[in-house]
Amino acid sequence: MPKSVIPIGPYHPLQEEPEFFTLTVDGETVVDIDVKVGYNHRGIEKLSERRTFDQSTFVIERICGICSTSHPFAYTRAVEDIIPVEVPERAKYIRTIIAEGERIHSHLLWLGLAGHFLGYNTVYMWVWKLREEILDVMEILSGNRNNYAMFKPGGVRRDIKSEDIPLVIKKIDSIVPTLNRLKKAILDDPVLHARLKGIGILTREDAIDYGALGPTSRASGVAKDVRKDAPYGAYDKVEWDMIVTETGDVFEKVIVRVLEVYESIKIIKTCLLNLPEGEIDLNIKDIPPGEGIGSAEAPRGETFHYVRSDGTNRPARHKVRAPTFMNLPTFKVTVIGETISDATIILAAIDPCYCCTERMAVRNTKGKKIYHGQDLIRLSQEKTEHIKRKMGIK
Amino acid sequence: MKLPKIRELLEAIKALIVGPYTSKFPYKPHIPHPNFRGQPIYNPDKCVGCLACEEVCPSEAIGHEDITDDSEPRRLMIHYTDTCIFCGSCEAACIADNEGIKQSNDWELSFFDRKEAQETIEKELQLCEICGEVIACKDHLKWISEKIGELAYSSPSLYFSRLKSLGIIDENIISAVRDSGRSDRVKILCARCRRETTLTTR
Repeated sequence: MPKSVIPIGPYHPLQEEPEFFTLTVDGETVVDIDVKVGYNHRGIEKLSERRTFDQSTFVIERICGICSTSHPFAYTRAVEDIIPVEVPERAKYIRTIIAEGERIHSHLLWLGLAGHFLGYNTVYMWVWKLREEILDVMEILSGNRNNYAMFKPGGVRRDIKSEDIPLVIKKIDSIVPTLNRLKKAILDDPVLHARLKGIGILTREDAIDYGALGPTSRASGVAKDVRKDAPYGAYDKVEWDMIVTETGDVFEKVIVRVLEVYESIKIIKTCLLNLPEGEIDLNIKDIPPGEGIGSAEAPRGETFHYVRSDGTNRPARHKVRAPTFMNLPTFKVTVIGETISDATIILAAIDPCYCCTERMAVRNTKGKKIYHGQDLIRLSQEKTEHIKRKMGIK
Repeated sequence: MKLPKIRELLEAIKALIVGPYTSKFPYKPHIPHPNFRGQPIYNPDKCVGCLACEEVCPSEAIGHEDITDDSEPRRLMIHYTDTCIFCGSCEAACIADNEGIKQSNDWELSFFDRKEAQETIEKELQLCEICGEVIACKDHLKWISEKIGELAYSSPSLYFSRLKSLGIIDENIISAVRDSGRSDRVKILCARCRRETTLTTR
């Protein structure tokens, strides 16, 4: 039987980011996949080298709208590694609080989108309503719902006012009952089990071979988390658990993310209640020549930054490696052998963020566009309907 | 099987009673939390026109324009609200006790014409009395002389601008001789003219 080729792109079937996939299919089954990145190049590294160390944090923050804390976190750690200095305790706690807030809203955003792709639009609306509470919390803590502008080399820009803490804790607590209901609804739903269990399996060996990071690797049983392996911020001072599951299918990836939200809530509350007194900023004046590396656990995995200084007030070289860069190649093992309608959710399961990943320029591609993103979502939703009908659920 | 459905039903009933989560925005104004960082706004009374905010702005959203051709030399401080990213660097760098430019709670910044998306204030400029070069804003010189106290009396530019602002010196008394030499030393001068009048090799 002749194989046919389905080009998807150059934008992603799920998120509104330019991306090019070539799915080679045999009937309904995917037999090969090719990914081309490089449609979203913005020259962030070069922009960062044109600005001062202090101003660069704002460019770095805008690498990605969702990871707008992880990138500055890794960058400021890299700059502090050049000198090297330790930031004040209070700044460490504030950084941890902001980073965990980001993790909650990122995981909830992904969960909502996953619900949408599977045809569960209620989940989508429900989860995004929860996310609003977290965004409100971030607005109270940092002054903005996103792009918090809190990080600077040597500390943080703004302090957390003690009179805001009770309101923040109340708001964070208010999402827990709804989250509990949501967790039970996901765990109990037979359709979701039938739809997600056993598809897109990333085995433990493959996860290690491909160097998968973050929830993608933790769902496959690889206990890898920068927050535990090389603690930074206040992660070694608070109690929390790393969520690791075994099988590595899409369902486990959902579970890992949902449970990580609980851990993040725990970390934020502990940090807010034990916020140490003291300075929040070191007021670094000079960055000596040298090089530094910094990493931070973004919601999608480890973000890595390299900064070289030549003694001026601007970085001489700045390199960014986003987690999706490592997670993207796992498509080779997860998508092959699955059906096209499952490909949608498998591609989304690593929570890909291409604007983080783009470090290289565009190239030309030839061919006809056949499937739009909307078509793939429709296919995916239809499969859920089909399963529901088969199981006799209205 | 039954239990999840009942749970979801409870949520649905709750949503019916509570109503939609979204607000009726265009009809009802949205009031953000007081901590919200919105559009930065200049305070013309506090701002000294030192351009520290322009220096630190990461998105180059702050600019200035010096008008020296007509009778009243002045500096226009311009904040482009369309390129501003609301990071608060300007407020943090402001030398006037962080009050010259302050982030407000204002977030409605839409315009029909992009040229309208800017906010300006005017500051009086001090020009060099010999060559007419821009030295700084009058408020800025005043701010420096207040900051360094009696040390300001070591620089004629500083103490003259201070005394003039107090109205002690008559503005109309200007020396008729302009030789860039000794007679010009006790004047408000730019750095280049100050150097020329002080050179003793001539």
